[in-house]
Amino acid sequence: MLARSLLRVPNRAIARQSLGKSTRASSTAAGAESASSPFYLTLTASLATAAAAGSAAWYYHVYGQEAFAMTPAEEGLHPTSYPWVHQRFNKTFDHAALRRGFQVYREVCASCHSLTRVPWRSFVGVMHTVDEMKAMAEENEYDTEPNDQGEIEKRPGKLSDYMPSPYKNDEAARAANGGALPPDLSLIVKGRHGGCDYIFSLLTGYPDEPPAGASVAEGMNFNPYFPGTGIAMGRVLFDGVVEYEDGTPATTSQMAKDVVEFLNWSAEPEMDDRKKMGVKAIALLSGLFAISVWVKRYKWAPIKSRKIVYSPPIGPRR
Amino acid sequence: MGLADFFTDVVSSLGFTEAQAEAPAADVETSTPQDEPAEKTEEASEEAESESESAEETPAEESSEEAPEEEEAAEEEEEEEEEEEEEEPEDIKPKLEEDCANSAQCAPYKHHFDECVERVTRQEEDEDFKGPKEDCVEEFFHLTHCATACAAPKLWRELK
Repeated sequence: MLARSLLRVPNRAIARQSLGKSTRASSTAAGAESASSPFYLTLTASLATAAAAGSAAWYYHVYGQEAFAMTPAEEGLHPTSYPWVHQRFNKTFDHAALRRGFQVYREVCASCHSLTRVPWRSFVGVMHTVDEMKAMAEENEYDTEPNDQGEIEKRPGKLSDYMPSPYKNDEAARAANGGALPPDLSLIVKGRHGGCDYIFSLLTGYPDEPPAGASVAEGMNFNPYFPGTGIAMGRVLFDGVVEYEDGTPATTSQMAKDVVEFLNWSAEPEMDDRKKMGVKAIALLSGLFAISVWVKRYKWAPIKSRKIVYSPPIGPRR
Repeated sequence: MGLADFFTDVVSSLGFTEAQAEAPAADVETSTPQDEPAEKTEEASEEAESESESAEETPAEESSEEAPEEEEAAEEEEEEEEEEEEEEPEDIKPKLEEDCANSAQCAPYKHHFDECVERVTRQEEDEDFKGPKEDCVEEFFHLTHCATACAAPKLWRELK
């Protein structure tokens, strides 16, 4: 059909050409007139272009640049990223460091900061033995259930108890710290921008004296990493504040590193298991994927290897 | 024999090393005198070492009691010196960061900071100064950021 219609075209096309000659002539005549374009068209185009460019520039002038009301001091210094070993995807916590970090928490941080979401039992098998943790839990008193007279007595702590808080409530904590509330440290690594780096920098970043011209409010300390640079917590980690039981030299940065790793554990106690499960999942899923590829090849083999042959009927030659 | 048994057999034949949180039985024997619960391997071995050290020290001290007093005094002095050294571990971080701040890497920041400190202290001392109050926090941030970033890997090499 198509070939036939193509064959027919010339006859009709000739007829069309004879008809269309007059129209084409008129259009070429118009083109010749517009070649010398009138002044108002050039002016309109130029003005439109200028208006477009100008309005874009004006918009950028008014809205383009973001306004930052915050000064760098109010933002706080971004913490340096330290090469934490436990944050690599194929590494676990250093449990000796966790044990040291818990010692630092108990001897230094625990006087102001609570760790309410961590029970004593969670230390067992991670950094301490059952007997050690039982002994530590028993050092603290907890409320009992009401007895027959409805009185609440005290009992020594058990493994199932949670870590005791240094203050009864937030108000007491504020009153004891000049209005500043020491945050709970259970999830502090997850709860602060920069995580481990931020806390390590904060603990070790107290300069000997604030830079010239910086104003430090009364009762506050200068710390560049704390947003606003005025922090109510003073420097607490000094060389040799803690005496490690494994003989590690207790320098400021060593203690900070250990306690930050411990706080990361308290925020993510499942991290070691999580990484292990990740490797398990990769191993399993890659195995399943490999099997699926082989099965696909097996199933498709007859389809892929078949050959479609068209053998036309052999007729008499013309 | 089920399929699960087959897999457990395969896994057990691979011979993965078993991670033990508790100390092996052999080490417990050395630490039994104190009747301490078996702890982590490292700790147990360290304790064993410390015990052996203390065991070595005690006869020496006993013998020194018999010996003239001068030797005893000398030994005590040595011990005191050791203790003092242990009590004052020095943090390497400030030194590393100072070295970094003075290095060529942070030279521009250091230059700006020093200039700012000089300018601001001059302004503070000058009572007639009416200009806007200035501080060097931003310059300090830049310098500290440079210095800590430079010192971070060096510090981690030193820490445990």
